[in-house]
Amino acid sequence: MRAVAVILAATVSLALPLWLSAANLTVYVLAGLYAVTAVGLSLLMGYAGQVSLGQAVFFAIGAYTVAVLSLHGVPAAAALVAAPVLAAAVAAVVGVPILRLRGHYLAFATLAFQLIVLSVISNTAFLGGGLGFTGIPSLGIGGAALTSARGYAWLVWGVTAAVMILTRNLIRSRPGRALRALATSEAAAESAGIPVVRYKLAVFALSAAYAGFAGGIYVFFIGYAAPGAFPVALSVELVVMVVIFGLGSVWGAVAGAVGISVLVQVLNQVGTSPGMPQYMPTLLSYAAYGVILVLIMVFLPGGVAAIIPPGAVASARSFVSSFRRRQ
Amino acid sequence: MSELVGYLISGIAVGCGYALLASGFVAVFRVTEVINFAQGTLAVLGGFVAYSALTSARLPQGLAEALGVLAAGAAGLAFGGVAIGKRGTPPLASLVITLGLAVAAYAAEIAIWGDTPLSFPALPGDFVLAGAHLLRQYLLVIGVALVTLLALGAFFTRTYTGRGMTACASNRFAARAVGINVRRMGLFAFALGGLLGGLAGVLLIPIQPLSFNSDVNLAISGFAAAIFGGLRSFEMALAGGLVLGVAESLVAGYAQASYETVVALGLMLLLMIWQAHRRLELA
Repeated sequence: MRAVAVILAATVSLALPLWLSAANLTVYVLAGLYAVTAVGLSLLMGYAGQVSLGQAVFFAIGAYTVAVLSLHGVPAAAALVAAPVLAAAVAAVVGVPILRLRGHYLAFATLAFQLIVLSVISNTAFLGGGLGFTGIPSLGIGGAALTSARGYAWLVWGVTAAVMILTRNLIRSRPGRALRALATSEAAAESAGIPVVRYKLAVFALSAAYAGFAGGIYVFFIGYAAPGAFPVALSVELVVMVVIFGLGSVWGAVAGAVGISVLVQVLNQVGTSPGMPQYMPTLLSYAAYGVILVLIMVFLPGGVAAIIPPGAVASARSFVSSFRRRQ
Repeated sequence: MSELVGYLISGIAVGCGYALLASGFVAVFRVTEVINFAQGTLAVLGGFVAYSALTSARLPQGLAEALGVLAAGAAGLAFGGVAIGKRGTPPLASLVITLGLAVAAYAAEIAIWGDTPLSFPALPGDFVLAGAHLLRQYLLVIGVALVTLLALGAFFTRTYTGRGMTACASNRFAARAVGINVRRMGLFAFALGGLLGGLAGVLLIPIQPLSFNSDVNLAISGFAAAIFGGLRSFEMALAGGLVLGVAESLVAGYAQASYETVVALGLMLLLMIWQAHRRLELA
């Protein structure tokens, strides 16, 4: 039954680009990029128990890596490989001091780090300053270039699938169990022989790599990079995507990313319909975000998935198998 | 020399504003263990309400500011009701709720006040100190902040409610056992945080015009100051606010204004890491 659901999801996500309109295709591509980032954040928050309110900074680092390298004539594929590598490297370096902090302190440190990086980018001419870079070439290998939005949609959702599989395997492996153990109690995990510091750092770097890769594709797709494109609001948005369907679920993170992206697009369409004041889209999306976030955290501190009783999946499975036996 | 004095005084004034914001963080965190990320929003709301009271309702200066502070206090109480009103909400969920409230408040602020920065005139006149011409508003900010922080100290040690809140801060289970309503004390703390935030807002808005999204920087500066005392000490929050305000003012004055956030946040990060390191060594 699970396999059927997976195949169905894969088929739908591959078929969707064929009939989506141009505007909706853009939303679809962005949703996929956010999904990749959200899966990484979900791994960090849901499994390793570390809060990041600055995850968008790694998205930005990936984006700027690609922008700088490809504008300096580095082949697109090489630039795209460098994006997650550099993002992970930055996370590994910054993580050494930052991951000493816990809970609220860590959340704030990541937020502060993002603001510092954005400020440095805005003040550095080499990184395009406050205006950023435009005219970034599209992704391509050799002579072939990826220019259609449909092509990007397939690429992005292929990457999403790969990231989901990788993350799922990681969660089920020995390091995955170790991560869950250190999220519950670092002292207990440490005494059980888990190298807590190294694991926290590794998962932080991995989540940064996901974000960096997504950021790299983002720049190829959008064609420009500016500090204003990666605000703290994006980091908050990513946290919302991760918590909205319940922390610690790969599918939940993807569903959250798609759900929020679609919601914002719908609100935009409502806000820009004729007769609405000009500030309506921003106003609506702020209001909806805020209210939805508050409602979910007040009534379901465990996320939307918490409304499905734990036994439901098991009983559905046994129902299906009993039906099979009767035949 | 006069330049340095000028930067110092303006830095101290802004730092006093940060200290008020930081005290709001401390008041809420001590009692409820929640970090109220809507603290900056409360300052913006206080400033905006005072602006409307001055320009639209044409209330006299003083009364308008008081109205702004009270409105922020009421908003703080309402935010607290949402964030900790439901029993058993974990502190991290409450933190995300305050973030959500801050974002939702953007919508209300844009709808009512628009998205351009607002300000109203500072206290008229200036004064001369060591050759530096300074706004009288700076003296007002410094004076009001110091009096407020002193009054806060008296409130926590001399009044029944204040002592109840201190009891919740030191041990919430023991406080409940002796009959203190922990949740009500938490709501009081949120209202107090709102008042302090609103006060910071009405004092700072003539110096730095505020717009709906100024809350991020205000909240970050306030939190940075509050973390100086591990989010628990009002005195250290004042010290943190002053360090931050003066550092920003000196960097903006002698180096480059666009680096003030980097320096201030970098300083804060270093302090947090140093504290964590020290705790680790003591343990």
